[in-house]
Amino acid sequence: MAKHRGRGIATIEYPTGMNQNGDPSQAWIKVKPDGRIDVFAGTVDIGQGSKTVHTQIVADTIGVPYEWVTMDVSNTDSSPICTGSFASRGTFIGGNAVRFAAERVRERILEIASKEMEIDAADLEIEDGEVVAKGAPDRKLGLADVAAAATWTHGELLTGAGAAFKPYSTVDDDTGEVDSEPHSAISYAACVAEVEVDDETGEVRVDKLVQVYDVGRAINPTLVEGQIEGGALMGLGLGLLESSYPYYPSVEHRGEQFGAYLAPTLEDLPDLDNVILEHPSADGPYGAKAIGEMANNAQPPAIMSAIHDALGVWVTEAPATPEKVLNAIQERRAPQRDGKRVVYDDQISIAAVSGNRGKGGDGEGFLLPDE
Amino acid sequence: MKAVGARLPRYDGVGHVTGRTRFVDDVRIPGTLWAKALRSPHPHAGIKRLDTSKAEKHPGVHAVITHKDVPRNVYGHLEALGVPADEPLLADDDVRYKGQPIAVVAAEDEATALEAVELIEVEFEEREPVFDIRKAYDADAKPFHQWGPAFPHFGPYASRRIRKGDVDDAFERADVIVQGVYRPQAIEQLPIEPQVGLSVPEPDGRLTIYSCTQAMYFSMGVVAAHLEWPLNKLKFVGGTVGGGFGGKVDTATETITALLALKANRPVKWRWTREEEFLCSSTRAPWHMELADAVTSDGWLLGRKMITLHDAGAYTRFSSYGVTKHSFHHTGAYTIPNLRFDGYVIYTNRSPTSAMRGFGVTSVSYAVEIHMNRIAETLGIDPLELRLKNANRIGDLTANRVRLSDPSTVPVVLAAADRIGYELGAEFKQMTSEPRSGDLLPDHLLTSVARDGGAETDGRGA
Repeated sequence: MAKHRGRGIATIEYPTGMNQNGDPSQAWIKVKPDGRIDVFAGTVDIGQGSKTVHTQIVADTIGVPYEWVTMDVSNTDSSPICTGSFASRGTFIGGNAVRFAAERVRERILEIASKEMEIDAADLEIEDGEVVAKGAPDRKLGLADVAAAATWTHGELLTGAGAAFKPYSTVDDDTGEVDSEPHSAISYAACVAEVEVDDETGEVRVDKLVQVYDVGRAINPTLVEGQIEGGALMGLGLGLLESSYPYYPSVEHRGEQFGAYLAPTLEDLPDLDNVILEHPSADGPYGAKAIGEMANNAQPPAIMSAIHDALGVWVTEAPATPEKVLNAIQERRAPQRDGKRVVYDDQISIAAVSGNRGKGGDGEGFLLPDE
Repeated sequence: MKAVGARLPRYDGVGHVTGRTRFVDDVRIPGTLWAKALRSPHPHAGIKRLDTSKAEKHPGVHAVITHKDVPRNVYGHLEALGVPADEPLLADDDVRYKGQPIAVVAAEDEATALEAVELIEVEFEEREPVFDIRKAYDADAKPFHQWGPAFPHFGPYASRRIRKGDVDDAFERADVIVQGVYRPQAIEQLPIEPQVGLSVPEPDGRLTIYSCTQAMYFSMGVVAAHLEWPLNKLKFVGGTVGGGFGGKVDTATETITALLALKANRPVKWRWTREEEFLCSSTRAPWHMELADAVTSDGWLLGRKMITLHDAGAYTRFSSYGVTKHSFHHTGAYTIPNLRFDGYVIYTNRSPTSAMRGFGVTSVSYAVEIHMNRIAETLGIDPLELRLKNANRIGDLTANRVRLSDPSTVPVVLAAADRIGYELGAEFKQMTSEPRSGDLLPDHLLTSVARDGGAETDGRGA
């Protein structure tokens, strides 16, 4: 009876936006008479921080302090369409919508400023809430003055709208070939899990997760770390703890309260070593790619591989509960070898479980990998 | 100061941790009625008789709705994308999972609504449930879904297919074939805030719907379709959500509270209990994946055959979308020239499975990454070097023949190796994502690299 240590790696990729695209996000912006900025979008902040990230993008794109920007995502009367906060699309697609709207507003601000300052708009820029002549920094006009002039002198509204959209990509049902890129930028990540396994109890403890994410550009590094660390716990739950149907495929004993469903808590949080790489995307806001969903994808296979490294046995029916780990130790199942074919897990395959190797009548059924 | 790149605090952080954020259940409108549902106690049964008359007469009850009260009862979340509908908002002549809503009551308070639910009379005819997706085509299988055991609408096929290159030839040429089975499980999205919705009839005839949806416009479209209303008669108020993780993409409470509010002409709130959230809401899908990879003894991936079964539960919801996304990513962070993939959406009598963080890809990452480590074990080669060798590179073509413009398998593997002090061979330490050439462009990959003027998708969209 002993404790065994093991290490496992996984490398993953994940696309930004809905698969096959066709998922618009739109935004519009108005400037108040004192130069403060109101942004309206339909992108729901589900706790990931999209509203904060979008505010940062708008502030820099127009050229005003972050505190000047207010964002309203509260209702469908005042906000244009956003397909939704899913498919890892908030920062990239929602972010592009507010960026494009901010670019339009910036142009409108410079038009009015050009009239007030009698300088060509192309020779003006906006920095920290002031319109400044390029190369002549003493010639400047506060955005509050520009907005006041627009409102009270010119009778105009400083506003702008933006729409981020990539057209639907059609897939050939025969081959899977698509007629255009079916997603926006792809993000990549690697995860190394270090575990300790008790061969008497079957209990697995994750001691450390090293996690590397290429997010293109971390618009807000704290929120990126929030995704990485929240995702780590969720991935740990997938690998070791959680199951809606503990005796799947049976539906018996489905947990109906927190006390009957084993979710990870902060007690389970391993040491985390987060590495953020920034290889910018071509068309995301400030080079950003997505991170939201992928953050719980790499830990489960890394943990299963670390268990194998520790014990020499594989668990591939998740989660790796103590019961499953002990069974794997007891069975010490080696892959079956048949010529050059090395077959793992034959006992849980369709061919083993189905009465007729997954074949029905009338040509219906599954095409198995050994066919 | 530039805002982009700054560690600015979340705008909602203080409100959340001090209890001052107003979530949907914190919205109190005078005169609000409370909803409770009659749900199926059986995973599979026919409904022979449904009588709500006693519930309707119960003191304090203002409205009871069944499938007969829904202008369009069967509406599919993906109808706009050509996926036909199969799920009723309220059960009609059968129930297909335990917890499926059959009738919903609006009453003065939740206790009265629960009493009324007890008074609804239903006569069920219990039927044998289906649970094991591997047996979908067995001779004694009894499919319960009108479309058969599997979703049949991937064009003319019952599976999402990928066919690329000559996979039989790759398996012929392989030194070793490594085969494995991977079964990640169903889990709960587990938001702190259970499903909750509040519909308020306005004096001008519009409905205001306070919603915890992750997708206001999407959910508004679903409500409008069931009601057969134009969008301008609805106003969704939302944007503040107590956790979603994919579980609040499906529209759970909004349409039903809208129908009850219209019938009672009073605001109606429906907040699911924690038990309903666990037992009746969608879960992450369980998946069954079998992979066989044709590999050379020095670690090249020549080809992959893969079958995936996705446990949809009782209705399709987003399952076909999830399996298609899964298929597009079944080669993981690597370039494999010869592919044969079939992904099936299989119906079972469990709660419909639906979106959750990583939908469609969490499963395939799980299978592919364990499988890569098994290939390394079988061949006796380094698992990181196996990854670097087969890594996606600029100009490589995906399973869909899309040219990759900025992959970063190589940088993330090198950074991980560096972080754990892992010693890689000299030729691997120097690797970049630059386009293939020399030893990294063996003959078997010539067809998987985009060439100038080639017919492949350029990868930058239309």
